[in-house]
Amino acid sequence: MDNTKPIRTYEPIGHALGFVGSLRLAWTELYLSRHVIWHLFVRDFVAQFRQKILGYFWIVLGPLLGIVPFVFMNRTGILNPGTLDMPYPVYLFAGMGIWGMLISTFTTVSGGLLGNADLVMRTNIPKIAIAITGLAGILYNLIVHVAVLLLVMALYGLPPAPAALFYPLAVLPMILLGVGLGLMFAVVGAVARDVTGMATTALGLLMYLSPVVYKAEFPQPLLQALVSWNPLSYLVDTPRSLFMVGTVPDLHGFALAVLFSLAVLAFGVHAFYLIKDRVAERL
Amino acid sequence: MSDAPWAIKAEGLSKKFGLTLRQSMKYGLRDAARRLVGKSAESAILREGEFWAVEDVSFELREGEALGIMGVNGCGKTTLLRILNGVYSPDTGRARLRGRVGAMIAAGAGFAPMLSGRENVYVNGTLLGLTTREIDDLMDEIVAFSELGQFIDLPVKNYSSGMYVRLGFAIAALSRPDVLLMDEILAVGDLNFQKKCFDRILQLKREGTAIILVSHSPGAIWSVCDRGLFMDHGCVRVDGPVEDVIRAYDDQNSRNAAASSAQFDQAVAAHDQKSADTHLPANYGHSRGGTGDVLCTQIALLDSCERSAALPEFDFGESFYIEADITVNQPQEDLLLRFTIDAAHYRYIAILDSYEQGCEFHRLAAGHYRLRVRVTSPNLRPGTYVLNMAASRKAVGVHLFYWFGATRFVVLNPADKFLYADSNAVMHLTADFQLTEVHREIETHNAA
Repeated sequence: MDNTKPIRTYEPIGHALGFVGSLRLAWTELYLSRHVIWHLFVRDFVAQFRQKILGYFWIVLGPLLGIVPFVFMNRTGILNPGTLDMPYPVYLFAGMGIWGMLISTFTTVSGGLLGNADLVMRTNIPKIAIAITGLAGILYNLIVHVAVLLLVMALYGLPPAPAALFYPLAVLPMILLGVGLGLMFAVVGAVARDVTGMATTALGLLMYLSPVVYKAEFPQPLLQALVSWNPLSYLVDTPRSLFMVGTVPDLHGFALAVLFSLAVLAFGVHAFYLIKDRVAERL
Repeated sequence: MSDAPWAIKAEGLSKKFGLTLRQSMKYGLRDAARRLVGKSAESAILREGEFWAVEDVSFELREGEALGIMGVNGCGKTTLLRILNGVYSPDTGRARLRGRVGAMIAAGAGFAPMLSGRENVYVNGTLLGLTTREIDDLMDEIVAFSELGQFIDLPVKNYSSGMYVRLGFAIAALSRPDVLLMDEILAVGDLNFQKKCFDRILQLKREGTAIILVSHSPGAIWSVCDRGLFMDHGCVRVDGPVEDVIRAYDDQNSRNAAASSAQFDQAVAAHDQKSADTHLPANYGHSRGGTGDVLCTQIALLDSCERSAALPEFDFGESFYIEADITVNQPQEDLLLRFTIDAAHYRYIAILDSYEQGCEFHRLAAGHYRLRVRVTSPNLRPGTYVLNMAASRKAVGVHLFYWFGATRFVVLNPADKFLYADSNAVMHLTADFQLTEVHREIETHNAA
């Protein structure tokens, strides 16, 4: 008789599942399914490369094309980004890339359950693991982004600051924020399909309240206050400055912003666990 | 039942669904909002527009036992399996499974089309709960079992559906799970592969794997399972020996088939009546027709206790009565009254002719008659049957009246016999089987 075998229990989620309870549950489930996550991660990562063997050119060109309208507006004098300590295209490319991390993480994680409906319906992998396997694609994006960024900087004859080595760490809070928001919308979006689209649009508007395509220095005090209270400002500005000039413009603000994104992540996990059992039958 | 430790315990499991997408969304959002503010979702009650897909299902399965779940489409089998696999969270009750759970709800779930078979074995194996190391050790066995050979390194998008399924089954069956959940998976591949699958499943069972098999195939259930559940509208109607479950399933199928055909007959009859203007058509190609000299207005079937029902059901071998109301419009000589029986797949499997049965109607005046026929110990196998009626005259070679599909009836499975062999067969003949040894082939070879 073997009593060492683990026992799985499936029962209705009571309201007893508290905030700490769901975080602990998430940790346990992720730990127990680490092999699955790893293989799904590798699967998605390898698939990214295989599917794009012919498209390396476009991988580099795509993000570059994204900044063209802004560079054009800047050259024609329509758009004044403010005083920058680096060439505008470099500033723009880095900012858009970091912002893109948030958007792509959000869309990937929020669409993770819908996109992997097959796995949700036919396997007993924890749903949170299925939702986050798409992060393989984000890692891929990050690698491409850094490579192209180095290329752009090389064109301007700029070397990256030594602190650029911490760049992935500095971008991490942005990604975690995207994961947290994405987890919330992964479950809510499976129940009501259009809310994720609305949230993506709303998130897109926030870009103009953050120093992404310009320094976001406004003469109006209200707008300026919004920018300085916007955690995204610090999450975009810090990794970029770190990479280019090796400084952190506002350590205090960045620390608070990191705390904010961790809080969103924790709340996202909690919301995910509270609602996830309403998801499978609606995929 | 063995005294092995339990592998699966299901206690009062229920799951409800919304009938429409809109309601499903409304309740989903409401539940989500309630949960987020710390209230419990209204799990245990049925709200408007919801129904129980699985209702209060309990059972216990021990190591090395196999449970077969049968039921007609939409009875909740798959939902139950999904609850056990952790896909759906139950609305009430609790399910516990001990050990590693392998699920073959669809072979090849999680295969990535761009990756090779080998790479997919790693992905799929971890989905079943194996570690990378364990998969390394199993790889050769999996390749051999699935008979893929060199194709294991081909991207699976180029696989045939058979190859897909063989690989999926090989991974699941060779991973030696403690609990194996299977949904209609045995009907795959060619006969040799199917045999191999059965062998493998029985071997897993001997090694202590608890198996749940959902299938429409009585043969598969009977060969693998010791016990079974028969489900209907989400509830367990029969929980017992697998033979009882197969009988219940077969009877339910017969009832459903008869009921839906009867509905179809009614629709056709209504259409005929509309187009025929109450006149009996004097040609073939209708459900009723004839010259109109003789009419049968009503046919009823009574069981051996002379009870009638909208959809008559008889026990296996039970005698029954046919009662027919007959109107003779013109005086008739040497009238022949005849009933024929159709089975699900064959017409005219039996005939009851008044003359053949020694009953002669030499002279009948116009008027209303009631005909009563007692059918003693019919040898019809369980299934659904159709009764047709016809009237003609010895001297006239045409139908005075015909009525196809006059009524339908169901013959139920006997409790003391297990008639599993072929649902196409319609007659049961009693026979004695004797097997005598004539020549001992193998031992003479060995001796030589």
